Amino acid sequence: MATPALCNQVAEKWQRSFAKLNREKEGITGLLEFTQGWLMASDQLRPRDKAGLATKPQYDKAKLRECFEIIRACNLHAVFLDDYLDAIGRQLPAITNDIDFYMKMYEREPTAEHIANLISIAARWQRAWAPLPEMGASALSAFTCTFQTHLYSILPPSFTTGFRDLISATFDFTSFEAAPQWLLTRFPCPHGIPRPDFTLWTIMQELGLIERYETLILSVCYERIEGHVLEASEKVWDRQMLQEMRDWMSREVVPWLTMPYARDARSAEHATMLMKNVGSRLDYHVCKTLADLRTREIFDIIIDYPDSRPALDDMKECLQRVDQRSQLVQSLRKANRRRLLHPGADTKLILTQYVSIIRCLRIVDPQGVLLFKVADPIRRYLRDRPDTIRCIVASLVGDGESGDSLVDENEPIQPINQTQLEDYTDPNWEPEPMDAGPEFRANKPSDIISTLISIYDSQELFVKELQILLAQRLLAITDGNFDRERRNIEILKIRFGEAALQVCEVMLRDMTDSRRTDQHIQQQKASDLHPTIISRHFWPPLQANTFVMPGQFRKIQEDYASEFHVFKPDKKLLWMSHLGSINLQVELDDRTVEVEVPPLEAAFIELFSEQDEWSVPELVEKVGSIERPQAIKALVTWVELGVLKEDSPDHYRLLKTAEESGSAAKSSGKQPTAVVEELPPVVTVQQQQAEQMRVFWKFIEGMLTNLGQLPLDRIQQMLKFAPNYDRNIDQLAAFMEAARREGLVTVTNGVWKLQRD
Amino acid sequence: MEQISPLAAARGSSKPTASGTSSEAAGSVTKRLSQELMNLMMTSPPGISAFPKSDANLFEWAGTIEGAAGTIYSGLTFKISITFPPNYPYVAPTIKFDTPCYHPNVDIAGGAICLDILQDKWTAVYSAQTVLLSLQSLLGEPNNASPLNPDAANLWDKPDEYKTQLMKHYRPISDDA
Repeated sequence: MATPALCNQVAEKWQRSFAKLNREKEGITGLLEFTQGWLMASDQLRPRDKAGLATKPQYDKAKLRECFEIIRACNLHAVFLDDYLDAIGRQLPAITNDIDFYMKMYEREPTAEHIANLISIAARWQRAWAPLPEMGASALSAFTCTFQTHLYSILPPSFTTGFRDLISATFDFTSFEAAPQWLLTRFPCPHGIPRPDFTLWTIMQELGLIERYETLILSVCYERIEGHVLEASEKVWDRQMLQEMRDWMSREVVPWLTMPYARDARSAEHATMLMKNVGSRLDYHVCKTLADLRTREIFDIIIDYPDSRPALDDMKECLQRVDQRSQLVQSLRKANRRRLLHPGADTKLILTQYVSIIRCLRIVDPQGVLLFKVADPIRRYLRDRPDTIRCIVASLVGDGESGDSLVDENEPIQPINQTQLEDYTDPNWEPEPMDAGPEFRANKPSDIISTLISIYDSQELFVKELQILLAQRLLAITDGNFDRERRNIEILKIRFGEAALQVCEVMLRDMTDSRRTDQHIQQQKASDLHPTIISRHFWPPLQANTFVMPGQFRKIQEDYASEFHVFKPDKKLLWMSHLGSINLQVELDDRTVEVEVPPLEAAFIELFSEQDEWSVPELVEKVGSIERPQAIKALVTWVELGVLKEDSPDHYRLLKTAEESGSAAKSSGKQPTAVVEELPPVVTVQQQQAEQMRVFWKFIEGMLTNLGQLPLDRIQQMLKFAPNYDRNIDQLAAFMEAARREGLVTVTNGVWKLQRD
Repeated sequence: MEQISPLAAARGSSKPTASGTSSEAAGSVTKRLSQELMNLMMTSPPGISAFPKSDANLFEWAGTIEGAAGTIYSGLTFKISITFPPNYPYVAPTIKFDTPCYHPNVDIAGGAICLDILQDKWTAVYSAQTVLLSLQSLLGEPNNASPLNPDAANLWDKPDEYKTQLMKHYRPISDDA
């Protein structure tokens, strides 16, 4: 049962509430007024279903304001707002139906139009249900929040795709003529607006879509940029694209950009300010897209250099804006590995590309950090190639026939610069860039040849290779014109220094001296022989298969040698019979054959003048110190000239009278090609080194046999017994490792021993 | 004191002359030894080999001799030490077996060898290589007339017993040498 206290309490509460609602009016008039106001306001605000969408009932503003004031005065506006939002909540399924309808339409036929319709209808719902301005700003924001939360919650995932389509479509709504009909009818624009999608954007803003889908809108924009940059710039390297792309941006993208970002701009400056942020993001994206593209293409760009110079300038500018340096290095290294540094590529090609890389990366990054990083694997690879030095040396002396020399003719010839210390007193000194590694040496722009030569640690190898090349070229010269070689040597002297090229100088002098000596001897006693007399110590070893010239040739040689002995008593001639060529007149019974042939051919035909028939082994035995294939080759020369005939395998007969059928057919085509020009056989550096390593191996084998097992440094010490041992311990280690792979030695804990079988 | 001093003086006076001649000769001896080493390495005759024991001294070599195929020593490997005198090649090198070698002409305990070309028949035309070859052939064809090891000489005609004795003394080469 209610106690009197409780009754009192309830009564008091009731009194207070009544007082609040009645607002100290007479009787209950206050209460009545309040009830009337509440009902009227609720009725006015009641969210209507589809039927009521088009028009809101007319209302008397003053009357309504009065109603709100009564509610506010009773301190019940919060309750009223809750009530209102509840009513909205009850009506929300009506929107859901509409959204579903348009989404189904879109899914059936994915065009942006349906999405635009959906947005339009959603906006109408929102407007229809929006609270009256008289209710205050808080009511409006509470409503917007409720409405939009609901809206977003019912949008299916496919809406995102559709919305993207719609945004994408707006790019093309550049003018009213270009705009589709549905846009103009659904979202009519007020007069004087530059773009037809103005209203659409305004409505999207109202629905909060721009804010919510900003990333998506930007990503659509990015896609546009990427698409355009790729389309316009791919494989276009002969003009600078970056500026073109920026122009395109301000022409095509910026007007569009004003729609989502600067619709309300009062002036151009205001618009610029509003778009500053997003504009710089997009500019960055342009640079990044272009940099990405060029990074992918870099290898081909370098191949195209110097035609691709503008692309490289673009790259340089992009890299200043975008941090893509490491990607560029990686991409180029990868491309080099895949396309350049493999056995299929010619060494000359690799060198050419390397030189192009040097030139190109100097444009992109004048300080050379990128180059240093990219060049490293190439240099290491080139170091392992056997013919690298020869290629470089060939380009040093400017191989006439190869055409494009690695060296730019216009580049001044400089001495090969040794590593320089940094000159900190230089007012233009700059610190090393951030991404320079610890091994980075700021190599001052040195000429290409110096860079190539610095692939190797020492110049010695170059000079050796140079000697061999020079030997080949000098011995191949027949007209006595050494000017070209002399010029080369002089140029090289500037690079390598006088001392290194002394040997070459001697070689050159040998050539001229030979001519003088020959002139002198010819005066004493005319001879058909004009030898080149070379100093054995200064020339690279020539392949030593000197055979003995038979018959009259021998006689000529001996006569000449004795004259020479008179002229230079302290010197002795050693004949290299296999070098040179001989002008022969072969007189046969019915014809005379006049040819210039290598010495071996001459030797053979001399032997045939003694005896008509020879077998190959007999011939080989007669001249000695030649291989069978050489002999066959020499004989074939004569067979082709129609002088000899192979009667049975290995047996050749002199054709004293020409054989009509055979020789006629053969001589017609082949006669002039009798003499095969070949470079004089000089023992290459590799062959010399291989020979040396064979000797060193014998010593290693000897010491390991007798001393058991040895650590590497002991082997290195003991190898001083081997003649001319000049390897360092790293080279030895590499050599031992190679021997281990061959299964000749084993190593445990750094101690080497022979693999016993 | 008085007794010692002349001796010391004699030693002192003899030393410079000795070293003087040897250093003069050492150059040519070293050259000769290097040449012999080079020849030996490059020809590398089967079964024999030798190499200086250290890089500091070219006069002390270690050698290896394998018993020739078809002889009782076939398949066995012997280590030897070769010491070249300062006046080499006018005086024969001193050679001894490091691996115990049961052989009529080899001292089983000390490794000393009784071979005519290493003693009175030595001439300067011989070289390390010829000596090693002679030793290899000595293994298969002992001179039983002047044995250092009479037991071995007596057993030579009984190959089975000989082989037993040989293997009893033989120790294979280990890598720790």
